[in-house]
Amino acid sequence: MATLDSKKSSLSNNTSPLVALVGNPNTGKSTLFNRLTGLRQHIANYPGVTVEKKSGLLRIGNQDLNLLDLPGCYNLTAVSRDERVVMDVLGGRHGLRRPDLLVFVVDASNLKRNLLLASQCAELGIPAIMALNQCDAAKRNGIQIDTALLSKQFGIPVVETVATRGRGVDDLKSAISNALSNPAFLPRIQWPECIAKGCQVLQTGVKDLGGDGVTQAEALRVLFDSDSVFTCGISDKICLKKMVDAAHQDIRGLGLSPGSAEAVLHYRHLESLLDGVVTTTGPIARSHESIDAILLHRVWGTLIFFVVMYVVFQSLYSWAGPLMDLIDTVTGMAQGFISPLLENMPVLQSLICGGIISGVGGVLIFLPQILILFFFISLLEDTGYMARAAFLVDKLFSWCGLNGRSFVPLLSSYACAIPGVMAARTLSDPKARLTTILMAPFMSCSARLPVYILLIGTFIEPRYGAFAAGWALFAMHFIGLALALPLAWLLNTFFLKIKPQPFILEMPDYRVPTLRNIFHRMWERGREFVLRAGTVILAFSIIIWCLLYFPRNPSVAEKVRADFAAPSASAISIDALEHRIESAYIEQSYLGRFGKAVQPVFEPAGFDWKITVGVLSSFPAREVIIATMGIIYNLGADVDEGSEDLRTILQNEKWTSGPRMGQPVYTLPVVIGIMVFFALCMQCGATVAIIARELDWRWATFSFFGMTTLAWISAVVIYQIGKLF
Amino acid sequence: MSGTLDGLQVGDSAEIIDISSDCNRAGRMATLGFIPGRRVTVTRLAPLGDPISVDIDGQEISLRRAEARLIQVKQA
Repeated sequence: MATLDSKKSSLSNNTSPLVALVGNPNTGKSTLFNRLTGLRQHIANYPGVTVEKKSGLLRIGNQDLNLLDLPGCYNLTAVSRDERVVMDVLGGRHGLRRPDLLVFVVDASNLKRNLLLASQCAELGIPAIMALNQCDAAKRNGIQIDTALLSKQFGIPVVETVATRGRGVDDLKSAISNALSNPAFLPRIQWPECIAKGCQVLQTGVKDLGGDGVTQAEALRVLFDSDSVFTCGISDKICLKKMVDAAHQDIRGLGLSPGSAEAVLHYRHLESLLDGVVTTTGPIARSHESIDAILLHRVWGTLIFFVVMYVVFQSLYSWAGPLMDLIDTVTGMAQGFISPLLENMPVLQSLICGGIISGVGGVLIFLPQILILFFFISLLEDTGYMARAAFLVDKLFSWCGLNGRSFVPLLSSYACAIPGVMAARTLSDPKARLTTILMAPFMSCSARLPVYILLIGTFIEPRYGAFAAGWALFAMHFIGLALALPLAWLLNTFFLKIKPQPFILEMPDYRVPTLRNIFHRMWERGREFVLRAGTVILAFSIIIWCLLYFPRNPSVAEKVRADFAAPSASAISIDALEHRIESAYIEQSYLGRFGKAVQPVFEPAGFDWKITVGVLSSFPAREVIIATMGIIYNLGADVDEGSEDLRTILQNEKWTSGPRMGQPVYTLPVVIGIMVFFALCMQCGATVAIIARELDWRWATFSFFGMTTLAWISAVVIYQIGKLF
Repeated sequence: MSGTLDGLQVGDSAEIIDISSDCNRAGRMATLGFIPGRRVTVTRLAPLGDPISVDIDGQEISLRRAEARLIQVKQA
């Protein structure tokens, strides 16, 4: 991945000017970014945090500029490390490059609130221009803006744009180009004397205490954000706090409360600047009111919500199916085509067919679901419905530290955790996003289904009937959710030190989505998955292939052949002989030996070495268990969960040694234990890779070991309790 | 009559007096428009009664009851 990064960064020249887009969420900032850069974009994370860094190349005439899309925010508050990113970029801290020009993207329908961020940024003294976006919607809502006056009052060029239609984009480009040679600055707020003094005291105080130099803008963050992450490099927090408290006392003396003082003063400043700029013709027509009356209605709104979510889930589950089958078929064809060409080189043949091609297939197989999910997410976000959906169901999740926006990621995780984890990006609160990502793999994904069907069909249905089988299947789908929500609560209450953000949602106006935007988002996510997570998944696939293939000592095959060539042996078909050899190889492979070695670990859960190897080999991808069992039980890798042969073998499987010799291996507690193990265990290399990508490797490791331990404990408890009866 | 935003019924309108919370939350809410002196109207409740949705300065904002409880209001 490092090579990819360096290749990409050479694409944008470091000496060319850096222009940053700054704005509130829901202003069409990203759409504008896409319009300006086209597909010449690069997505990475800011170092040390999980915030997405989108940059791209902007070509104006023959001049190349670097364009940066800063995370959407309402203000510069820097309480969490994630939020600090914007301040760090604007202040040029931590090796980040300070932008040469800021383009404020403001929603014309809500000028005052949008400009609060600009008013805060004025402190930074970076040249700026303004893109007045969504002018058409504002006009429809009866809001008239005097752009010339706005530009005069704020001292910077203002360009009217409608990003969704690409209107005004060329004007914006020339404004950017002009502003770089003729910089203009936003008017700074005149702080009351006590605040200005408080900042100065902080700035000199920090220097005296041996900290880094802080700018006035950073001093304001220390002053207004309690628990600010700006510790200014000084260890004496008490002294810092004393200075802040003294300033707060002065603010109270002005009749303001320290919490809201900053916003109140900025709003006063803006109100005087905006005098005469905005005129409303009659009462503001709010197009969304009549729609909301239905979509947020207690009965109809809830009903529509479930219908919408049902459609999303069904499409994910059933539309993706044929495409996934197609990818499977193509993978199979590629293997079938290449395999005979390498007949003389069995190691290479197996590596390419079993390791690389199936690994690439294993990456691409996730694409249909990712693309379909992001089609719907973009559609729901762009129309403005997503915020409403979050409002409707927030209560279901708020008690455990998640929020209404967790619904879509968790629901889609029932099809597959990969798109689910990626969908958690729609959560702006870092803590809720983290928890949602960690809970997503607990939802019973479609790859677990074959295991349930095999075991329920083999052991529960014949003995207890179809009704019990149905309930068992439902229970297996429910258990992950039932455990995940209390776990989320535990994690949030006792372990996560990050402060939760208040769940305050802006209900955006309803808008007509554009296909261009939707496809851009699908393309962006799909590409990112293949390039970033895909490489890791492929590596996993090759490593597991090695562990299952080596050491391939020919004597293993010879011994099997010799056993069957002996006169006393019963006649056996060539296919069956091949299956036996394959089985013997697996038993001798590193993974097979490892399975036998760690079998004692699974002994308390009642697993024999065959189940243990099956479980271990399913860590890269849980659906592999069926094929592995096919190989272990001498049926070959081509069995599926409906195979009668496999079912019969499992029913008749007996312990061949130890205290339980002669007893069946698959007793009811063992069967339930295996299913619960699969329900709770993180047996999916792709999910680990995507969590590492979306959060970091520490969280991916935590999730992997946490889930695996929980799965083991559950399987052991079930077996040990089951043994008592 | 003064109370908190959380105590208002759907359709009720009131003036914001203050936000009694730590600086961070108060700052965030103030940024979104919850500043002393402005009028706020409760427009609807979520199906499960929480969060609530309010109109402030012409924009519709939803917030949880836990946060609404921090906003002190005065009904005319």
